[in-house]
Amino acid sequence: MSTADAHAGPPVAHQSSRVSAPVLGMFLFIGSEIMLFGAFFTVYFFARVVNNAPAWPPEGLELPVLVAGVNTAILVTSSFTMHWALQSVKRGSRAGLQAGLVLTLAMGLTFLLTQMIEYTRVGFAPRDGTFGSTFYGLTGLHGAHVFIGLTLLTFATVRAFRGHFTAEHHHGVEIPGIYWHFVDVMWIVVYASVYLL
Amino acid sequence: MLVSIAVVVGAVTTAIAYFVPWLPEQASEQREGIDAVFWITTAICVSIFALVSAVILYSVFKFRAKPDDDTDGPPIHGHTGLEIAWTAIPAILVIIIGVASAIVLARNDRGGPDALRIQVTAQQFAWNFRYPNNVTSGTLRLPVHRDVVLQLRALDVLHSFFVPQFGQKQDAVPGELTKLAITPTKVGKYPIECTELCGLGHAVMRSQAVVMPAAEYDAWIRQEGKRIKGPPGQAGAAVFENNGCGGCHVFSPANSQGQVGPSLNELEQQARRAGKPLEDFVRESIVEPEAYLEPDYPNVMPKTFAQLPAEQLDALVQYLVGDEESGG
Amino acid sequence: MSTTEHHHPEVHAAPRPPATGLRRLLAPGFLRAIWMMALFFGIGLALVLGIRAIAGWHPLWHWPPVLAVAFLTTMPLGFLAGIGAFDYWTHYALGRPTRPEDHSGHGARSWRDYFRVNTDHKVIGVQYLVTTVFFFVAGGLLAMFVRAELARPGTQFFDPQTYNGLFSVHASLMIFLFIIPAFAGLANYVVPLMLGAPDMAFPRLNALSYWLLPIAGIMMLSSFLIPGGAFAAGWTGYAPLSVVGSDGNIFFQMAVQWAGASSIMTALNFLVTIITMRAPGMTFWRMPLLVWANFTTSLLVVIATPFIAASQFFALFDRVLGTDFFRPESGGYVLGYQHIFWFYSHPAVYIMMLPGFGIVSEVISVMSRKPIFGYRLMALSLMAILFLGFSVWAHHMFVSGMAPWLRVPMMITTLLIAVPTGIKVFSWLATIWEGKLNFSTPMLWALGFLSMFVIGGLSGIYLGAVPIDIHTSDTYFVVAHIHYVLFGGSLFTIFAGIYYWFPKMTGRMYDERLGKLHFWLTFVGFNATFFPMHLIGVQGMPRRVVDYAPEFANWNFFISVASFGLGASTIVFLYNMINSWARGPRATGNPWRALTLEWQVSSPPPTFNFDEIPQVVGNPYEYGVPGARHAVLGEERVEELERVR
Ligand code: HEA
Ligand code: HEA
Ligand code: HEC
Ligand code: CUA
Ligand SMILES: [Cu+2]
Repeated sequence: MSTADAHAGPPVAHQSSRVSAPVLGMFLFIGSEIMLFGAFFTVYFFARVVNNAPAWPPEGLELPVLVAGVNTAILVTSSFTMHWALQSVKRGSRAGLQAGLVLTLAMGLTFLLTQMIEYTRVGFAPRDGTFGSTFYGLTGLHGAHVFIGLTLLTFATVRAFRGHFTAEHHHGVEIPGIYWHFVDVMWIVVYASVYLL
Repeated sequence: MLVSIAVVVGAVTTAIAYFVPWLPEQASEQREGIDAVFWITTAICVSIFALVSAVILYSVFKFRAKPDDDTDGPPIHGHTGLEIAWTAIPAILVIIIGVASAIVLARNDRGGPDALRIQVTAQQFAWNFRYPNNVTSGTLRLPVHRDVVLQLRALDVLHSFFVPQFGQKQDAVPGELTKLAITPTKVGKYPIECTELCGLGHAVMRSQAVVMPAAEYDAWIRQEGKRIKGPPGQAGAAVFENNGCGGCHVFSPANSQGQVGPSLNELEQQARRAGKPLEDFVRESIVEPEAYLEPDYPNVMPKTFAQLPAEQLDALVQYLVGDEESGG
Repeated sequence: MSTTEHHHPEVHAAPRPPATGLRRLLAPGFLRAIWMMALFFGIGLALVLGIRAIAGWHPLWHWPPVLAVAFLTTMPLGFLAGIGAFDYWTHYALGRPTRPEDHSGHGARSWRDYFRVNTDHKVIGVQYLVTTVFFFVAGGLLAMFVRAELARPGTQFFDPQTYNGLFSVHASLMIFLFIIPAFAGLANYVVPLMLGAPDMAFPRLNALSYWLLPIAGIMMLSSFLIPGGAFAAGWTGYAPLSVVGSDGNIFFQMAVQWAGASSIMTALNFLVTIITMRAPGMTFWRMPLLVWANFTTSLLVVIATPFIAASQFFALFDRVLGTDFFRPESGGYVLGYQHIFWFYSHPAVYIMMLPGFGIVSEVISVMSRKPIFGYRLMALSLMAILFLGFSVWAHHMFVSGMAPWLRVPMMITTLLIAVPTGIKVFSWLATIWEGKLNFSTPMLWALGFLSMFVIGGLSGIYLGAVPIDIHTSDTYFVVAHIHYVLFGGSLFTIFAGIYYWFPKMTGRMYDERLGKLHFWLTFVGFNATFFPMHLIGVQGMPRRVVDYAPEFANWNFFISVASFGLGASTIVFLYNMINSWARGPRATGNPWRALTLEWQVSSPPPTFNFDEIPQVVGNPYEYGVPGARHAVLGEERVEELERVR
């Protein structure tokens, strides 16, 4: 990194805000993502409330509330391991960073797999009425986000094992981490409205 | 000074504009309210536009820089009084428009307690109207000076019912029942347009609204009500006539000459060619025209006839089939 | 001044040695894009077929969506990977040591550099503008076909399906591939310069945003080629028609995703750049109004655009996955589409207008040689429009059959938007008042904008009043409104911006006489084309019709003739741009004697914009204020810093 000064390049931009650019970028991106979920919740609201759906879920359909509840717990736990990973790298502990990331990845994968198995067992498809459409819509959208989150975490993990990141430079962990926390919180909202309400 | 010029210009222009027939003929009570809002808005908007263009034109001629003049203008940064004025005045003006609109809207939405209710079915690409006594027709017939509430339904995609002379417009939405109140004030014939893009035939999804003197309307609806309850031949003829089949088909018993679709005088041969029993074939052709397409003819026959009440459909089929037999 | 040498582009940003032989297939570029597109197409196909097989569906039955997904989703990714948009990130993801940026992606040394992934915001800005002007011409030609067909009642040249495709693609190109990205292109070029920043916050993301555009545009145009014809449900793509109509709709639904993703990423980039990279001394209240305008616009984009993405996903899913979002027979809610669509698309009309307000503020202030009147209120009214803009979407649905109680509140908010907009209009008028007006081409466009946009905005007031909207909705009155605000509004400001910054971007001066000719031809042709539409609109001519009642024949013929004249005026513009870019006289750094930062550097600016980040010391529009400065650069900056200390 020290070669940077010797290297030709632009003048260093003036930092006019306390928050760093990548972190701010991630927060704004999350704002945008919340709106995307908002649109999916809107269509859910239309189908269920505005259209006065007679029974929700329709007769004869049942959601595996318990399994999904356990799955929720797994995902929420993974937020803590993520936090641990970040704290470790801040302390300069590479082992903690690596362990935290691997654990988070493993739990995220478990979550995703459970969700897919659930899809094959719930007994209805996206084409089975608005209940099916909104269920797959919301959980599928969330699943896609878990997938993106996992991809980002994989990058961080690969780099963590290749010796990147230091106590001073760890944006590469921090930013996927912020995203991961968002994915978790969003799941709680999705779980509450799709499974519990 | 410019403001007063603008107001005068606005007033004069609006006054002149008022006497030019921009708007289509007025043929409903609802249009009266709409026109009132329209003219209020026009007066306000024309004045504002006159003011803006007056300032621009004045500046263009007055403040043009000389070719070799490199100096700057006076460094004016703002003026609180002016800024308050041009925040408050437009706010007041648009509130006036809003209040007038809300009043007119509330009045135009009211159907009246004993309004005549007509069911409107829209489908690619035709309108079908059904009156309280189950008479159906392809053109809308209305008694003058009577409150009417149209109840609109769409069977496939969005459509929109619009008669410019009535000023009222409403989408027909699949899965939803929408309403539109109209009180015609003038006897005459007015175009019905579909104004919501609904596919290939959107442009030609037109029909007619016929406003009749009340007595004439009553006589018509009573007679048609009787005819559709009469013997099949008579009932079928009535349904055939009212639904505009003759506009597209040749059919000797009805004396019709339409050239858009195939002649209905040779249904027997056509049924044979399609490989179906005659009655089934005719019924299917009416309810689901796409099921069998006569070669060399466009696929434009409306699908709205699926909505015909069962007795009327039976009568229509009997009429087409029966006369076929006796004729051949 | 020894450091300046350091930053000289020629010395350090030497281009990579060109690859030879088979290696050219591996080096980022169009060659690699070709085989990667094929590869990704295969991957996409395999994915869909595999999933279908697992789900127990016949893998190939109902093949159009299968192909569409592979063609519209994975192939574009292949293209992006091929041209090298992802190279750095893959490098990063694989955990190779990140080498310091070699800036070989910066600056353009020959025209070829405009055809590869380039991370210089100035190059990207030019890429944006050229691409969007291309799509403007394409969309305009489609409009010419529309007008040719409408010159007489009956169907002349096109069958109804093709006609519906023509105006749908016309509007979609104009909106998603011309107005929105053209503003993004201008801002891309100018905003970092105005802020005193060396580049955007995320240059690679910036490049990626650009390269999504040609993908979206080609997707929309290519929908004409598929069986069943182009998407033909209007640019609004209302369900259920867009669900049951031709497979061309898939092209619209996917193209909007790519264009939308591009918009969101650009907006993120602007926001972060504006918040974190302002030059020292550049407080929010010292930012030029163009920056303010793009700041508010970007907020709108980030918040609203996900809604159009979602609406198109739903319509797409209804078609290819058989979901029931908009199928009433299985519990779907048809009007839901419109609510979600307009929750984006109404704010979108301000996305298509606010940056133009910014451009006009720059031009009017400079060309009147006066400070902008009421600077703070100008910025605040942008914010007011932003907030109000989110509360008016249902004014597109007054006749849709939505809940009736929504109409009056939405009408009031709609009408209230006239207030902040009026503040802007009157402040511009007060700015030119008593100024020293300089009628160069940008100023003509700005004044043209002022008068034409007011007409468009006022016709918006008519539409906002519910009873009038009930009469005029979905008639040519709306078409007139659209073109007065989008052409007379947005497009006029884009022309103003292009002429204004042309010397900065190309280092050459455009031909002033041709510029004025372009303006007058357009101004007259525009009014002759679109003003009569108000009349036939209130008379009751529906929009989106290939055929119309004979009573409208005369006006339509007149409109068509005028529109060909309007189209021809574009030729003057294109000729002027191409010719001046190649051969125009050299432009000085600051031909308009403007104060904002982009004019304080050479034309075109150095690769990294500034040798040293400038020091901002005052407001951007202090024309006529003795001794006022906006910013100090170079030696002066050093002195200033010394003096302050
Ligand atoms: C650049 C794009 C742009 C802009 C800026 C606007 C601005 C406005 N629009 Fe427009 N609009 C569109 C693009 C735009 N619109 C498009 C594309 C459609 C059609 C979509 C489709 O269906 O295809 C549409 C449709 C549309 C409709 C729906 C019509 C229908 O389908 O039935 C309505 C209804 O309320 C409306 C209203 C308004 C209003 C009130 C404003 C206001 O913001 C205008 C405010 C400005 C002024 C009023 C002028 C300046 C003000 C003054 C000088 C102050 C004094 C003024 C007063 C006191 C009145 N617009
Ligand atoms: C920024 C947006 C924008 C712009 C610039 C334009 C520009 C034009 N538009 Fe368009 N238009 C829309 C946005 C825009 N439009 C929208 C949103 C709709 C609604 C669509 C819907 O209902 O879904 C619409 C709909 C629309 C209709 C209504 C269609 C219908 O409802 O059936 C018509 C009809 O006349 C029309 C005409 C034109 C014309 C003649 C131009 C001209 O100004 C174009 C001029 C430009 C050129 C011609 C290109 C370059 C010229 C050359 C290369 C020269 C050579 C060519 C010749 C001389 C022929 N437009
Ligand atoms: C807008 C024009 C139009 C109207 C109105 C219309 N039809 Fe048709 N009809 C057609 C066309 C075109 C065909 C041939 C294409 C097809 O088979 O769908 C057809 C086909 C038919 C057929 C099948 C005949 C054959 O030879 O295959 C029957 C029966 C029929 N129409 C009856 C009716 C009746 C009854 C009505 C009124 C209630 C009616 N049509 C109204 C256009 C029309
Ligand atoms: Cu029915 Cu348009
Ligand atoms: Cu709007």
